[in-house]
Amino acid sequence: MYGVRSLLLAGVFAASAMAHVGSPDVFFQGKAGPYPILVAIRPPEVIPGIARIEVRTLSPDVREIQLTPTPMTGIAATHPPVADIAQRSHDDPQLFEGSLWLMAAGSWEVHIRAIGKNGAGELPVPVPAVALKIRPMQRGVSYFLIGMMVFLTVGLVAIVGAAVESNRRIAMACASVVLVLALWGGSVWWGEDDAVSKQKLFRPLGIQLALSTPGQMDLRITDPGWLALRKLDDLVPDHGHLMHLFLVRWPEMDRVHHLHPDQTATGFFATSLPSLRGGTYRIYGDIVHESGFAETAVGEAMLPEVHGHAVSGDDADGPSLPRDGFDMVWLRDKTKPIAATQLNLFSFEIVGPDGNPVGDLEPYMGMGGHAEFIKTDGSVFAHVHPTGSVAMASVGVASPAAMMAMHETKPGPVVSFPYGVPTAGTYRIFVQMKRAGKVETGGFQFTASELTTGVK
Amino acid sequence: MRRIPWYIWLSVLGVTSAMIGAHWDISWHRSIGRDTFWTPPHIAMQLCGVIAAITCGYLILWTTFAQSRLRASASADKTSVNVLGFHGPLGAFICAWGGFTMITSAPFDDWWHNAYGLDVKILSPPHIAAAIGIVAVEIGAMTLIAASMNRTAGRVRHRLEWLFLYVNSMILVALLAAVIELTNRSFLHTAICYRVICILTPIVLAIASRATGLRWAATTVGAIYTAFILGLLWILPLFPAQPKLGPVMHEVKQFIPADFPLLVLMPALVLDLLWPRMTAWSKWKQAAVSGVSFFGVLVPVEWLFADFLQSPAARNAFFGSIYFSYFQSPQSYGATYRFVPYETAAQFRVGMAIALACAIVSAWLGMGAGDWLKRVRR
Repeated sequence: MYGVRSLLLAGVFAASAMAHVGSPDVFFQGKAGPYPILVAIRPPEVIPGIARIEVRTLSPDVREIQLTPTPMTGIAATHPPVADIAQRSHDDPQLFEGSLWLMAAGSWEVHIRAIGKNGAGELPVPVPAVALKIRPMQRGVSYFLIGMMVFLTVGLVAIVGAAVESNRRIAMACASVVLVLALWGGSVWWGEDDAVSKQKLFRPLGIQLALSTPGQMDLRITDPGWLALRKLDDLVPDHGHLMHLFLVRWPEMDRVHHLHPDQTATGFFATSLPSLRGGTYRIYGDIVHESGFAETAVGEAMLPEVHGHAVSGDDADGPSLPRDGFDMVWLRDKTKPIAATQLNLFSFEIVGPDGNPVGDLEPYMGMGGHAEFIKTDGSVFAHVHPTGSVAMASVGVASPAAMMAMHETKPGPVVSFPYGVPTAGTYRIFVQMKRAGKVETGGFQFTASELTTGVK
Repeated sequence: MRRIPWYIWLSVLGVTSAMIGAHWDISWHRSIGRDTFWTPPHIAMQLCGVIAAITCGYLILWTTFAQSRLRASASADKTSVNVLGFHGPLGAFICAWGGFTMITSAPFDDWWHNAYGLDVKILSPPHIAAAIGIVAVEIGAMTLIAASMNRTAGRVRHRLEWLFLYVNSMILVALLAAVIELTNRSFLHTAICYRVICILTPIVLAIASRATGLRWAATTVGAIYTAFILGLLWILPLFPAQPKLGPVMHEVKQFIPADFPLLVLMPALVLDLLWPRMTAWSKWKQAAVSGVSFFGVLVPVEWLFADFLQSPAARNAFFGSIYFSYFQSPQSYGATYRFVPYETAAQFRVGMAIALACAIVSAWLGMGAGDWLKRVRR
């Protein structure tokens, strides 16, 4: 049955991962004390850098929003800097905006403190901070700097010529040589700093898949090298699992498998093999480190047709709906376009044969549902919950109480996912909800446009 | 010359503004952390460049065009030089060059932040470009003063000599501020620390002495440097400040000042005592003895004083061993009062030998520059 002995990493295809792939913005929904709030955090592309944050209160009673970023763990977690006051939007009194200074790579949390008529409350929002790119110099700036360099070099040589009393040409020649050497030294230094900065750019983990053991899928996480702080022996369970593995058949995107392999050794995982259609699969392995830093290992593999076991427990595949008159419905206002980076609530429900929403939804790994947003060009993958795009294990590292408070016991009938796609283009959504002891998967597609107005 | 020219006062103002701004900015980064282009310390520093560029630019243009008829007479042309067709005092050209270099460093630094992240260290290419600009303004101011000084006698010359020593000491402040990452308390038992001090200090002290001819010139420069840093050490913590970004490793409630000043005053005093006895010697012989003396006095004095600074007796507001940047790890060498094991024993020995050689070369260069400044009249 498993004629292929070892199936194979075709290559890491994502330029940036962290938690999710190509989707660095953080979206979070929760309660700061008595006040429900929706949060969007746009991390900077360089670290140290400044993140933008938007907090929308769903209550009109909030008077002030305070923002305090701290590393999630370590001694600095207990020494918060002075809180920033978010500015209330002129256009929308329930929208507050601010900026966050993230000065080191790693796992951060933003303490959002809401103060209003009903007192004060706080919500911790985990934020991974990593350097993603080095911005090139704008053409105008480079022309200006080159021009000034020439001007200053010629000027200094001329000044040296004017300063000496004799042998003027020799002095100017010597000054020219010294200046050229100094500029060369500066260039070498710049190059060294640039190389160090490039070394600090985030590099996603890779994941290799093999079917070498009958009835089993073996996975191995590979580290291409990044910061020394990244280890593979420090994973913590998220919804009770060390890894949430997604296999997406590519490029059709017609099948998704949401599996939960067990760790067999550091960096090695295995799970029983489900039934698979043959083809190329993109592999996404969501993990969370004990620092609260969540990231997605990415890979690709060519798999044969497999007749494996039927998924059970928390494992799921699909789409499984529509089936037997049941279907999953996206409650979408089609008059309102979806724009890139804009925070949207993607709401879904399962309807029965009578067309009415079912009332028997069960928590699926503590949540009302799980949704995977995948861009058809492969540049984006995001695993989102009704609480947002943050891994719940990260919330647990920041505040175990906050994580427990977010676990749902009686979800539905409508399950909503706060998320904003990072770029314009066509996206596939796989939504998973549980009822009658079985995880149901629905598949949807939409096209996001460029954002033409301010992000709200 | 009956009075000190206005442009000299403005250049001294610019130099002072830059030095206060630079140290204030370092303290700002250690205490508050968050900054923009428009923070008060940045404005104080950029003011130096703006003053230098405008003042000296005006002086050059005025000398070039308004005084063109005067320059036609040979006697009136003795106070200016010709640079690329423009005329003006040599110091004005150097000042203006420094001002333009500082102004150029601003967009460079801004891009650097966008490309590589916000400031995490002092020694970066755009920061060094700004530092070169500041030092150039200071050298220009020193040259302006020297030229005026050399054309003057009596009370005005005496006042110009003091201004010269003041600007000279500000150069020492600037140079040693650029390397504080290598000269802080925990580096005072490393060769790299003494190497940078020996590169930067003898040249400044020798310039002061040779250009002014004053008996206690080097001591005065060392004393002004010491007083300036002590002033920062004792005054900055009087002002409240709190970190506005993390990670915060140490609670900070006031501005964090610079470390206790380096004890360059001691070798400066010894050099002032020695130099009058060497006047008949060749320059290289003078430089060799000066360098060895500087090194020989500085190293034991600073080495033993470093032991004191690491001891509980120095953990007070007077000696300043109680101050830590908000980002300084509690396990860091500074916070645990340990010396950084920066080099192996062999590297240390080689490094100290290089430091001694640097002190000699630095003294020789300073003597040459000082002699030149003593002659400059334009």
